[in-house]
Amino acid sequence: MNIISGIDITASALNAQKTRLDIVAQNIANAQTTRGPNGLPYQRKTVTFETELIRHEAGSTSTSSGRALQSVRIGMIKDDKAKGERVYDPQHPDAAVDGYVEMPNVNMAYEMVDLMTASRAYEANLSVVKNARQMALKALEIGK
Amino acid sequence: MSLIGSVSSLQNPLLAQLNAPTRTDSPTGPVKLPGIALPGTESTAIQPGGFGKVFEQMISSVSAKDADAKAITRDVLLGKNDQVHQSMIAMQEASVAFQLMVEVRNKVVESYQELMRMPV
Amino acid sequence: MLAPPLLNRTTMIDPVFQSDNYLLARKLLDASVVRQEAIASNIANADTPGYRRLDVAPDFAAQLRTRLEAGKLAESTSLKPTVVEDLSARSVRPDGNSVEMETELLAMNRNGVEYDFLVEVVSRNIKQMKMAISGRAS
Repeated sequence: MNIISGIDITASALNAQKTRLDIVAQNIANAQTTRGPNGLPYQRKTVTFETELIRHEAGSTSTSSGRALQSVRIGMIKDDKAKGERVYDPQHPDAAVDGYVEMPNVNMAYEMVDLMTASRAYEANLSVVKNARQMALKALEIGK
Repeated sequence: MSLIGSVSSLQNPLLAQLNAPTRTDSPTGPVKLPGIALPGTESTAIQPGGFGKVFEQMISSVSAKDADAKAITRDVLLGKNDQVHQSMIAMQEASVAFQLMVEVRNKVVESYQELMRMPV
Repeated sequence: MLAPPLLNRTTMIDPVFQSDNYLLARKLLDASVVRQEAIASNIANADTPGYRRLDVAPDFAAQLRTRLEAGKLAESTSLKPTVVEDLSARSVRPDGNSVEMETELLAMNRNGVEYDFLVEVVSRNIKQMKMAISGRAS
């Protein structure tokens, strides 16, 4: 029974934003990782969102909107290929012969902003669910 | 002069008076009650079985509303329709229509019984 | 001359539910639910590149008003609110996404209150009908 209308897409959006938060957390955690499993410094990961149209069976009146319902998901998680900073630190275990260490291309300020945006988007989707539930409950009181 | 005819012709004039109360104390001539044949005049009665027809139409419209409500609710239960407010409104309308019909029936039965109690 | 008897009307029940305010409220209630779906989609797609914001088709309200003024609200069963792209929204990001979170949250709040009001209007009409029929307050 699809009793709260219009929030199927919100479930997928919550998932997508949660994944995005996880990636940002991973970036922040690895901000100082100069040598990963492949021997190279950590490459920052980025996510892209994409919308997927869900086709309904013919004749279904599942939603009253004019469009087929959409769902959101993370399209792909790719590496940011930009090079990170080179810091002069000859004492560092991963320093090259010229004394420079190649740091991961993680910009802390940028990641923090991303973290906040992702959190806010997650909370906004939660408030959509809360609102929709409230509306459905109000509808049950019609005429009483 | 058949002022009091059979029972059926008595029902019609009562309903007609509900619809269009006419003055029964006209100074110009014999009292003209709608639906009752006066000698020498044409009958202006409503077609016989008038109230039965009204009730029939009420029943058919109540059952139409009920069928409508059932269809929408069935769709919501099966997940084919997510407009729960439409289902609620349809159910309430069907219930009000049914209530109206039941109250009308009660009043008609009550007035019939009242009528039967009248000493002739 | 007899007043037109009840027999001339097709039914006795429907006129009870044909008052303009009641029908208007029902249609607007449908539109409010559809708008909630559109806002949910907008908020969910706030980060999708190229996504354009959706809303209830603007000519729904215009058509509703025409029908109301022509006195033909009761026959408007075919008039349904649909979701279309909001052409008046401008892109807020270089990738063409036109969703602003603040606008959406505000719209959701406003829609919520509108919905509550419309539910109240419909509910009142029904309760009044019940009261008139049964002669009792509940």
